[in-house]
Amino acid sequence: MGEDKKEKKKGIKFGKSIKEFVYGMAAHDTARFALKTRGSMEHLFILITMGDMLGIPILPPYYSLRLLPYVVPQISTWKRRMLREKDFTDTLA
Amino acid sequence: MNSVLLPVLGAVVYLVGMRVYAAYVDRKVIGADPKRATPARMYADGVDFMPTSRSILFGYQFKSIAGAAPVLGPIIAIKWGWLPGLVWILLGTFFIGWVQDYTSAMVSLRNDGKTFGGISFSLISPRARTILLTFIYLYLLLIAAAFTNIVATALANAPRIPLAIAVLAVAGVIVGYLIYHGRTHLAIVTVIGLALFYGALVLNGQFDLRFGSDHTNWLVWVIFALVFSLFGALLPIWSFVQPINYLSFYIVLIGMAIAVVGLVVKHPAMQRPLFAGFTADSLPLWPMLFVTIACGAISGWHGVVSSTGTSRQLQSETDARPVAAGAMFLEMMLALIALAIVGITAAGAKGTPDQLFASGLGSIFGFLHLPEKWGLAYGPVLIAILAITILYLVVRFMRIAANELMGRVMPVMRVPAIGTVLALVLTFVLVTTGTFKYIWVLFGSANQLMASLALMIGSIWLVSEKKKAGFALVPMVFMYLTTMAALVLTCWQLLRQAATGLSLAGAKLPAGQIAGNWIAGVIGVALFGAALVLAYDGTTALMRFGRQKRETAKGVA
Amino acid sequence: MNLSQVLAANPKMKYIMFGGKGGLGKTTFSAAAAHHLARQGHKVLVFSVDPQASLSDIFQRDIFGKGATEIMPNLFAQEIDADRRIHDFQNEIRKRILDRYGFDKVPDEIESYIAAASSEPAMEESAIFDAVVDIVFHGEYDYYIYDLVPLGHALYYLSMSSIYDEWINKVTELRSEMQRYDKVASKLKSEEKSEEDEILTELEEIRRRINLSSSIFTDKEKTGFFFVVTPEEMTILDTKKAEGLFSKFGVPIAGFVVNRVIPESLLSEKIPDYLRHRIELQRQPITKIGEVFGDRVVGSVPEFERDITGLDMIAKVAEQLFGGAK
Repeated sequence: MGEDKKEKKKGIKFGKSIKEFVYGMAAHDTARFALKTRGSMEHLFILITMGDMLGIPILPPYYSLRLLPYVVPQISTWKRRMLREKDFTDTLA
Repeated sequence: MNSVLLPVLGAVVYLVGMRVYAAYVDRKVIGADPKRATPARMYADGVDFMPTSRSILFGYQFKSIAGAAPVLGPIIAIKWGWLPGLVWILLGTFFIGWVQDYTSAMVSLRNDGKTFGGISFSLISPRARTILLTFIYLYLLLIAAAFTNIVATALANAPRIPLAIAVLAVAGVIVGYLIYHGRTHLAIVTVIGLALFYGALVLNGQFDLRFGSDHTNWLVWVIFALVFSLFGALLPIWSFVQPINYLSFYIVLIGMAIAVVGLVVKHPAMQRPLFAGFTADSLPLWPMLFVTIACGAISGWHGVVSSTGTSRQLQSETDARPVAAGAMFLEMMLALIALAIVGITAAGAKGTPDQLFASGLGSIFGFLHLPEKWGLAYGPVLIAILAITILYLVVRFMRIAANELMGRVMPVMRVPAIGTVLALVLTFVLVTTGTFKYIWVLFGSANQLMASLALMIGSIWLVSEKKKAGFALVPMVFMYLTTMAALVLTCWQLLRQAATGLSLAGAKLPAGQIAGNWIAGVIGVALFGAALVLAYDGTTALMRFGRQKRETAKGVA
Repeated sequence: MNLSQVLAANPKMKYIMFGGKGGLGKTTFSAAAAHHLARQGHKVLVFSVDPQASLSDIFQRDIFGKGATEIMPNLFAQEIDADRRIHDFQNEIRKRILDRYGFDKVPDEIESYIAAASSEPAMEESAIFDAVVDIVFHGEYDYYIYDLVPLGHALYYLSMSSIYDEWINKVTELRSEMQRYDKVASKLKSEEKSEEDEILTELEEIRRRINLSSSIFTDKEKTGFFFVVTPEEMTILDTKKAEGLFSKFGVPIAGFVVNRVIPESLLSEKIPDYLRHRIELQRQPITKIGEVFGDRVVGSVPEFERDITGLDMIAKVAEQLFGGAK
């Protein structure tokens, strides 16, 4: 009984890998691009609303604070990305 | 010999390579640690760094590196017979190819997901980065010229397919729109796009699409390819390039699947000669074979891809081997299939690479009791699609690179249209004046120099981390010397022809070709110069780190 | 028309504002108007949007940060303690972060941002701006009287609303775009994802508040904006300019009130020379005011012999303003 289950699990896992492999070839780059674009926009959003964290005061600080709880997890990655040195080979990434 | 032996040998090399050699290096030399946080997990910013499953990345990496080159290289190299190509594909991948892909991924992985530019800056020297950028621009130009030629020649030789390629662009735009703005299910969108393409192919199968004389016709398709790339370079990537790449994947997959099934089912014998001589088409086996078959054995392009997109998505260090090395071995299989396809064509049959491939594919379709003319049409379709989907990206990068290199000095370069037009004009000049065989080997040389550079960066990093660098260092030296030799020989032939105005056989050359030889020759010399400087800086860096290593060893002792 | 007539003619008018250069008497008139309306039986709230509020001074009661305080029957006054409000808000945000992410304490860099926010130049103003929304929409007063900031700042205050509005629109657009890319990625991955964007909801709420507040400033029926001028050349010029700017914003300008007019009747008394001189000097500007603002001058209030503080003096001003209390 246990052996059967193990075989089945392996089969399912393998099937999943195949599906992911095909997806990786066919659509992953497009999906990644969409997510990258969205991520850039998120960073832009954070810049607009909390730019004063980097010394760029743009907008009403009272309302910035109000939005702060929602973007807490992204703040450090956002900061790092804003301040990181960029290379043109980044466009390939 | 039977063609099926090729993939069988490939499978053996694949298994041994992955399970023995690569596994050894991964475990003992690099020490891949599944518990260590990768940049993807550390930074997970949803922009560049996104941990992604290994299977997805395997597909992603493979698609990124497999283009027209692993298919065309072996076809062009058939002029030396099929054995040299086979040996180089197998051994090249086993000793050098996967090493480059894998090491580039690991170096970036262990350096915060930095790209080539950043790493060469910090590990080697600041000027290494500038030279690298210039080098990349020339490299891109060569790819553009070579691949434009391939597209134009394929379309000119197969007047029953161009309409489908043009319709592919339209289908792409529609698919792009539907994905981004529509609510239709992806499967349906895909079917619509493919239906448009195949419909156009069937339609075009009824008539010839050609313009004027042979040469005029070819020029028309050159311009077609360049205009296609113009759109690709300027339109938002999701509206043109991505959907076309998406549809192309299925089109190519279908073709290659038929090829594989046909080869397995019929397992025809190789008809081409095993070995056709040390020199073919006035190019000697060494060093030229090694720059003719670039992708499929070892290619610099992979290093750039591994070190950028993929390394930022790896969710575990132990995934680097199956993804990067694995994809390289899979690409080796692709090259072997291409070699088999051309290997079964008639021994003395002449033609351009696309014609040979078409002929082989046609035979295979015949084996499966499909109309041979379908294969004769599908062959150039594959070639043209594989080439054009790289071409427009290359033009796009040229535009970005021009902005990066000259944007500050010449603000006009920041205008996307200007940079793109510049790239297209340069490409046009090179395509129309250059000789394809020389462009291809210059492209191959630049490619392999990139690979040597990637291996050099890898070696330097290994030495700086006090690891055994031999497995990367030795291949690097081999690649570097071979490629430099190839460059010297190519430049010599090109410049001699340009200076004397005579071909190697002594015939008088037309003015256009003389100009083309000058241009290509100068590019070759520039590449050579850049490679020398990079080698010098790299060696200095290596010695610096080596000295440190010895000093600490002494200190410890 | 005088001020009483203006109010009578505009029965729907609920929001009254006095604006003008610093020190010209806005607070005085705000208090006076409140007094008059309260005496008439209306429930009135006069509040200050100026961080340097002076309502406490004029009513001679400490009402700072104490919410709406009853000064006399029907008359309530409020000075917003911006600092305290900001402080409370910061704590509220801290708590929300802790609850949402289950932290033990707020991460350092987030904490330093929250702490630093209170010293932001615009924080005080935006905090008051937001406070006004609550005041004006949760109370049940018949009249709300805004004691505004001095002219220059008032303009800023007005433009804040439209700037905030612009900003919210742009940012909301941005978030909708982001949702679209999210949908594309999900589609490609064949994932089922329909996460509502919480931030979008929050933004909508912020926009609603901002619009509520700024809509008052341009409401032709419910709002009356009065400029306070004094008989001085510079004041007239500045006010004229301001009028132009305010009308561009769509603020319904209900009239002009002249303050600090030294009564001509003094001339017949024994007064020092400088005072005589001043009375003569103010004639020109008074004429000018008549020319420039014509029949939109709705009141003229004399210079009183003492500071206007305390309910008695306020009542006197109200009498002058409204032409005899009922």
